[in-house]
Amino acid sequence: MVIERRWKTWVFFYLPLTLFVIGTLFPFYWMFITAIRPDAELYRSWRAVNNAPFWTLQPTLAHVNDLLAKTTFPRWLWNTFFIAVVSTGISLFCGLLGGYALARLRFPMAGMLGTSIFVTYLVPPTLLFIPLADIIRSFQLGNTPWALILTYPTFLIPFCTWLLMGYFKTIPRELEECARIDGATRFGAMVRIIFPIAVPGILSAGIFAFTLSWNEFIYALVFLSSPERKTVPVGVVSELIRGDIYFWGQLMAGALLGSVPVALVYSFFVEYYVTGLTGSVKG
Amino acid sequence: MSEHDLNRRHFLKVSGAAAAVASAGVEGILAAGRAPAWAQGTKLHIVRWVDFIPEADVELKRQAPEASKALGAEVTFEFINANDLQARITAAIQSGSGADIIQMLWNWPHLYANALVDVGDVAGPIGKAQGGYYDVFEATSRVGGKWLAVPHGVVGNAVAYRRSWHQEVGAKEFPKTWDEWRDVGKKLKAKGRPVGQALGHSFGDPPTFAYPLLWDFGGAEVDKTGKKVVLNGKGAIDSVKFMQAFWKDACDEGGVAWDDTNNNRAFLAGEISATLNGASIYIVAKRQKDKQKDDKGEPLFQDIEHAALLPKGPTAQTALYVPFQHSVMKYSKNQKLAKDFLKWLHQDATYEKWFQVNEGYSVGATKKWEDHPMWSKVDKPLQVFRQAVRQARMLGYPGPASAKATEAYTKYVIVDMYAKAVQGMKAEDAVKWADGELKKIYGA
Amino acid sequence: MKTPLAGGAGSATGVQVALPRSRASGRSGLARALEHEQLLAAGLLAPTIILLGLFIAYPFVMGVWLSLSDTSVGNPGRFVGLQNFVKAWQDSIFRTAFGNTVFYTFWATLFKLALGMWLALLLNRHFRGKRLVRASMLLPFIIPTVLSTFAWRWMFDPTFSVLNWTLYKTGFIVTKLPFLSDGTWAMWCAIVINTWRGMPFFAITLLAGLQTINPDLHEAASLDGANAWRRFWHVTWPLLKPVTLVVVVFSVIQTFSDFQLIYVLTGGGPANSTHLVATYAYQIGVATGLLGEGAAISLFMLPVLLIVVWAQLRYLRRLEGA
Repeated sequence: MVIERRWKTWVFFYLPLTLFVIGTLFPFYWMFITAIRPDAELYRSWRAVNNAPFWTLQPTLAHVNDLLAKTTFPRWLWNTFFIAVVSTGISLFCGLLGGYALARLRFPMAGMLGTSIFVTYLVPPTLLFIPLADIIRSFQLGNTPWALILTYPTFLIPFCTWLLMGYFKTIPRELEECARIDGATRFGAMVRIIFPIAVPGILSAGIFAFTLSWNEFIYALVFLSSPERKTVPVGVVSELIRGDIYFWGQLMAGALLGSVPVALVYSFFVEYYVTGLTGSVKG
Repeated sequence: MSEHDLNRRHFLKVSGAAAAVASAGVEGILAAGRAPAWAQGTKLHIVRWVDFIPEADVELKRQAPEASKALGAEVTFEFINANDLQARITAAIQSGSGADIIQMLWNWPHLYANALVDVGDVAGPIGKAQGGYYDVFEATSRVGGKWLAVPHGVVGNAVAYRRSWHQEVGAKEFPKTWDEWRDVGKKLKAKGRPVGQALGHSFGDPPTFAYPLLWDFGGAEVDKTGKKVVLNGKGAIDSVKFMQAFWKDACDEGGVAWDDTNNNRAFLAGEISATLNGASIYIVAKRQKDKQKDDKGEPLFQDIEHAALLPKGPTAQTALYVPFQHSVMKYSKNQKLAKDFLKWLHQDATYEKWFQVNEGYSVGATKKWEDHPMWSKVDKPLQVFRQAVRQARMLGYPGPASAKATEAYTKYVIVDMYAKAVQGMKAEDAVKWADGELKKIYGA
Repeated sequence: MKTPLAGGAGSATGVQVALPRSRASGRSGLARALEHEQLLAAGLLAPTIILLGLFIAYPFVMGVWLSLSDTSVGNPGRFVGLQNFVKAWQDSIFRTAFGNTVFYTFWATLFKLALGMWLALLLNRHFRGKRLVRASMLLPFIIPTVLSTFAWRWMFDPTFSVLNWTLYKTGFIVTKLPFLSDGTWAMWCAIVINTWRGMPFFAITLLAGLQTINPDLHEAASLDGANAWRRFWHVTWPLLKPVTLVVVVFSVIQTFSDFQLIYVLTGGGPANSTHLVATYAYQIGVATGLLGEGAAISLFMLPVLLIVVWAQLRYLRRLEGA
């Protein structure tokens, strides 16, 4: 144990940590205040005497109500959640299998395949969405969640694969060898021995994939058209920004409701996330 | 007009009368005496921007079931953010499927000409019946002599200003020339009430200010043929020099970062004394009259006036508005239905409901609507929008409003010319830069 | 069953054991196939290859073709070779955008790395509320970029900025700071927001790496008289290099091709000073309808990213080999 003097702890630990927390979370506090601030205050001049940007004495739930009642926000939440979960599932599935293959099995072109999977990351979605629209139409997936569920893995799988590949590489080969000596098949060893150990890695890859799906904008904008099928980012932007009028209260309420619940769920998994990435380091 | 069209109109008239009583199903068909023209389950999908006036979209949504009944197909509207329209149009055209009718802003019909259906048989008769379209639509909706879109309306703009503040500095009416505005603005800025103008990368307010400013001083992007770039000249340089002085003397210098929404908020918060905008400032102030108060505690909207046009320059007094029109997409399998829908939408009784709800924010596409009784009922400050469209020009003036003019617009060449100049670049250099950019675009 | 993972990065574990092959012989055809390394590999990679092939490889090829043609929306194009690339290179706005992108990526990544590392070191201790703090640090990463950028825009607003208000009231400034109105300021604001958004990812990932470092190493170093900084530099940093490289690679790719943040914050203004390659490509391709040119501009990112990634991967491989 490294011994430190108390003042050092305060200056080098608590102070910076507090600054980080404030810096990171201040915008959220700001969003919160804006979401519960009545309209009259939102439009107040910055030089007004009673301008109080950091708090409000008349909090109101009107914006939240408007958001939930007058727009189809709950529907968007559900859509985004559904799409994120399924795409994450698909990406994890492919990532697990692919990561194992690339980490453990010897076959020709292994190196090249690994690299090319990664290289697909370098192609920007702002270019891809146009030819993709064509493919979506050919498969008649337009305006269905499946258009997104099948296209999101294109940027989720490479990361999941690489992450899990690295993680698998750190698991000693002995485990599988022993299992196979005991009569298990390669496939069986993979599923029954290796995957359970990799659960932390799977969770961390899952969190990353879920977040990216949750966040995605341009594919969702282009491939979905009905209001009740939209995702949170697209829906909030299109319904709460009308030409030259932003509905700030509802916008910020939507921003918070569209992120804080996810964070709460993550707080349960974050420990796994942290230890999960440990394994991939040595990849 | 073909016989088929005559029957169609008859059908619409009859079903219109029977609509209140008959349902969309068998009774309606029997009442009209003929079978519906469309297969069961046909859907018509229309994409438009999210209107600045929420009630306008509500009205359209309300009209959709009426249209569905009248046409015997399911009509649905989808409203998306104006900025996202082009992404959808691009994806739809390239993939060959999407909405049947899409709203086109500015002169987009030129941009997407090859993917749009000739709707002359719809636009022509409407124009004739309603006293003719405004000239600006000849520029935007007509490509190569063909109507590629049915004009729908125009979002006008005017300078909204605080009457009391202007009177305080001695301006009983809004300044008539640019130089006068500069003087008045200077006095107001000294009192902490500058003019507010956006010069950022936003699709509405910056161009509607920058282009007329250029034209008013005699500048232009290209010549009449549209083939030669003529920007680098006295007109443009004078206008840029004016803008540099105007900016420093009279404007809120943060405007370089403004988008279309900043001036609304700033005006309603009492930060600026005048700004070029659509009718949305006044309309919001009126609708929220309990929340929008001025520094004396009075409802703000009572102090808002609109100047009918931007001030006059040495050469001209012009304006740039945002025209919008509906195009039928070539990939659509329901082209005939789409055209019928547009005819239905522009029937006087139907259109006028949408027109009235706008209260002048969007005005009609034809001269007929200038005479609508609504104008006498709306508040006086909104009446300036009545005939304003007559003065409007289009991007690329005096050349044709071609796809190249659109490219110059989307690259914000003219807007940035002013933005660069007010941030310190010499006027001649800014104009030269813009001229160079235009030359690359026009290949001239 | 859990096996303890060895501490310290880079150490290989596992000994090769000879497999008795006889056991596998009496199985069915499918089982045989699954035993066969190559076939199993093919099977395992099939879903990935199909999905990526369909939804990336084909569009990518289409994108490359677009960039070599003069396609515009609704008009099929003809092959024009490298004309679009040449035109882009001669375009002053493109050059500005490219320079902006390099500047933006460099500084944002540097800040994210430095701050992320610092935060990771701080979070590596035990303190009350550790779990909650760690989870809440992820919030900037979770919230959709579009929405958080709006909030930031409101905070930087030329008229209503709360930051300006605070600084004004506390007497630090007399006139408003031109957060988004000045070209240079606007770029730095974008970098700040990008750092805010991406730092948590760095922090949490580096934290994971830190947790693999054996605390004994730190003790040994401190007993030898090393202070905190030297401990970090000589013990922690070398062991963290592999993690760091992985994270930096991903971050550089994401930041270089960043689109949403700038699009929402400034649209590339004022006067193109915050335009990035991705936003400019979008403006040309979608807003102007010149798909060929837009595709070419997008593809300019590719060689740069390839070089960056290749260089970093080589370095990583060298580290592992050592």
